[in-house]
Amino acid sequence: MTKKTKIMLLQIVSPIIAVLFAVIVSSVLIVVIGKNPLEVYQIMLEFSFGRVDSIAAILFNATPLIFSGLSVAIGFRLGLFNIGAEGQYFMGALCAAYVGFSFGNLPMIIHLPLAIIAAMVGGALWALIPIYLKLKRGVHEVISTIMLNYVAYSLINYLISDVFMDNNQHIPEGTGSPIIRTPKLLASVLMPKLNDFLSLFGIDLPSYAYVNWFFVLALVLAAGIYYLVARTPFGFRMRAVGSSPGAAEASGINPQGVYLRGFLLSGAIAGLIGLSHLLCFYGYMDLDFPKSLGFNGIAVALMGNNNPFGIVVSALLFGFLSRGAEGIQTFLGIPMEVVVIMQGTIILSVVVAASILGRYIRIWEKKEA
Amino acid sequence: MMEKMLELKNITKRFPGLVANDSVSLDGVAGEVHAVVGENGAGKSTLMNIITGLYHQDEGEVWSRGEKLEFSGPRDAILKGIGMVHQHFMLVNRFTVVQNIILGYEGTKSGVIDFEQARNKVEELCRLYDFKLDLDKPVGELSVGHQQRVEILKVLYRGADILILDEPTAVLTPQEVEELFTNLEKLKTQGKLILFISHKLHEVLRISDRITVLRRGKVVGTVVAGETNKKRLAEMMVGRPVLFRLEKPECEVQEPVLEVRNVTIKTGEDRQSLNNLSLTLRRGEIYGIAGVEGNGQRELVEAVMGLTAYHEGSILIKGQETKGKCVRDVRKIGVGYIPEDRHHRAVVLPMTVWENAVLGMEGDVDYGSWWKLNIEGIKEFTKRKIAEFDIRLGTIDSAIRNLSGGNQQKVVLARELSTDPDVIIAAQPVRGLDIGAIEFVHKQLINARSNGKGVLMISADLEEVLSVSDRVGIMYNGEIVKEFVPGELEVEEIGHYMLGASQKVGEASHD
Repeated sequence: MTKKTKIMLLQIVSPIIAVLFAVIVSSVLIVVIGKNPLEVYQIMLEFSFGRVDSIAAILFNATPLIFSGLSVAIGFRLGLFNIGAEGQYFMGALCAAYVGFSFGNLPMIIHLPLAIIAAMVGGALWALIPIYLKLKRGVHEVISTIMLNYVAYSLINYLISDVFMDNNQHIPEGTGSPIIRTPKLLASVLMPKLNDFLSLFGIDLPSYAYVNWFFVLALVLAAGIYYLVARTPFGFRMRAVGSSPGAAEASGINPQGVYLRGFLLSGAIAGLIGLSHLLCFYGYMDLDFPKSLGFNGIAVALMGNNNPFGIVVSALLFGFLSRGAEGIQTFLGIPMEVVVIMQGTIILSVVVAASILGRYIRIWEKKEA
Repeated sequence: MMEKMLELKNITKRFPGLVANDSVSLDGVAGEVHAVVGENGAGKSTLMNIITGLYHQDEGEVWSRGEKLEFSGPRDAILKGIGMVHQHFMLVNRFTVVQNIILGYEGTKSGVIDFEQARNKVEELCRLYDFKLDLDKPVGELSVGHQQRVEILKVLYRGADILILDEPTAVLTPQEVEELFTNLEKLKTQGKLILFISHKLHEVLRISDRITVLRRGKVVGTVVAGETNKKRLAEMMVGRPVLFRLEKPECEVQEPVLEVRNVTIKTGEDRQSLNNLSLTLRRGEIYGIAGVEGNGQRELVEAVMGLTAYHEGSILIKGQETKGKCVRDVRKIGVGYIPEDRHHRAVVLPMTVWENAVLGMEGDVDYGSWWKLNIEGIKEFTKRKIAEFDIRLGTIDSAIRNLSGGNQQKVVLARELSTDPDVIIAAQPVRGLDIGAIEFVHKQLINARSNGKGVLMISADLEEVLSVSDRVGIMYNGEIVKEFVPGELEVEEIGHYMLGASQKVGEASHD
């Protein structure tokens, strides 16, 4: 076995060991609340992988996490901590929603891409503020992005409830009050689900499965980001600036330009996070639009070691965990929070395992160099 | 026979894949300066870390005055009277001399630090060893030489009678070295044992009584200083004969290729890191900048490279004004740059050797288009350079951090010379390298100069500047205070300029 394959094997094995460790820790917790851990895991696995609708739900859960993981990972590659993916995806989603309900009479082939582009522009513009402040004024991006997340939340709430509020909702007399939401998006902007496509292969998804083409887009984007980082001069510069801005600068790379473009890219991708929900599941944006998908991207990126393929795998793992949580809550009456704790333990142990492994590999490389 | 203050018996220390110390034995007696010399990676630091309790040896024993020592940490070593004076000072700049000295060993009187007693003790030490210091001055305001005295006092305060000095002269001017040596002589007469780690052979020969040479973790031999010479020591260190005279063919100096005209960089109201500095570098010469570090050398280099803005004056490269140009544009005119801080300015440590070999040129036509790196082409180029520059490595796919300093520097050199630049800025080009690599780097610089390039070399090592340069400028306080041709000035005189010519009268000499 060559050194390279050995290292690769270790890189795959170590997160698995970390996950097993997290499983053991969670087992203790489950025993403490008086349940049988084996039974819990069995239900989780059976419920998640034994039914086609569960698989679809896992893929649907994973879709926004792939986008947010990629967005955060690009920041990390640059040595920047983009905590603002949260706010950027809200702004992106709103831009897409605006295009979705106000641009009428467009064929889908134009309308849908337009909405996607609007989302990316919205995310990038929201990312422009913190990176501009950092480059021109030296404001740390962690502070500014956290603050801008709150600004985005409030701004979106204001825009939805006061500016874009749909006042023409048809509510039958006496059945309640209108929802505070934007107008419904036009059909030409909605992303088709994978149901029809998969039925070609004899896989029939139930109508309540919402996995859609954004999942495929996320996979393509992951491959694209991998190529960008590993194979293009711009990716090369991103890695150089991210690891050593001083050396990059002295060699003639302009770190400021790389920071700016890289961060805008991160924001543009963050703009896509909410689209799978917006353009397929909800069809409008309301005050209950799902939150914290941007924050979860930090965990996904950490677990995936900032590698696009690792991010896809960890997003799928997270998707499975939340689907499994629904299962054990329904069938065993175990609170979903148990799974949240499990998620946390997994993230911690994977990160620790990765740093131990990294040190080990470094010593090992040194030995053979 | 005097009692041995320190005796190492067959110390062996292994790291994964490397024997850092292989059965090393040496001893020292009271009132001796015992030098330990060797190239980088010869095992000097590991050995010192074992003596000071930072590492534990795998095999072998440390004895002191007939007692076997077992350390579980640095504090144990200090209790046994072993103290280390580090190359990089570990001082709190805002604290006064006394505060720094007692830091971590503060005596208390009813729960409060007893400054008076501490001060008395420090004063007594200064008297005893003839150290001149203003005890109430913040350490940050002292000169480097005086800061070093504080470090030595710190160790003495803790009761050390075995002092380890790690490359103590690296940051000092010739005068300060003299003063240090006077202090060391005094310590000797008081019965201290001094282990002197260095690679500057002429200094080692002057100050030490005995010299132990390490090579690849093994002791090559221990010799009496009076019975050997520089050439023999270097041979022991390297394992082959070393040429000390650089082959420098005659070379005709041509037109100016770099002109720095009255450049000033302000750092505050009336402070400046470069003060109306002018110099001219011509084709066919190596212009060396001598001076104590921190006198504007770094700022000069960064101003030339476009890494920092300057407020007044102008810089011309090949006749082109470079004010406002970015690094990339400056390089495009024809400048190669070997930064002084290799790990932060020259290479990206976690990236591979081949990536580092084209850093900054990754987008150039030869290496692909904007959407695709020509990885094959880059690797091909790297392999060629590796053969040409005799770079020793396992594979070009490994991270450059795995290479030795010398090989890293060769990669930098290969990259910087590959564009055939007309101006080469070499800042501390051989810092941290071993003798073989030093020879190589100097040869490359001299070759470039003989081919009609201009080389601006900055070095804190006066010996290096004098042997490599065709012309030397001494920098002090952001100015070139003296220009001369090597051989024109005595070392003594150069030292005065390095400390600012105005202080020429004030500082006493010891010769």
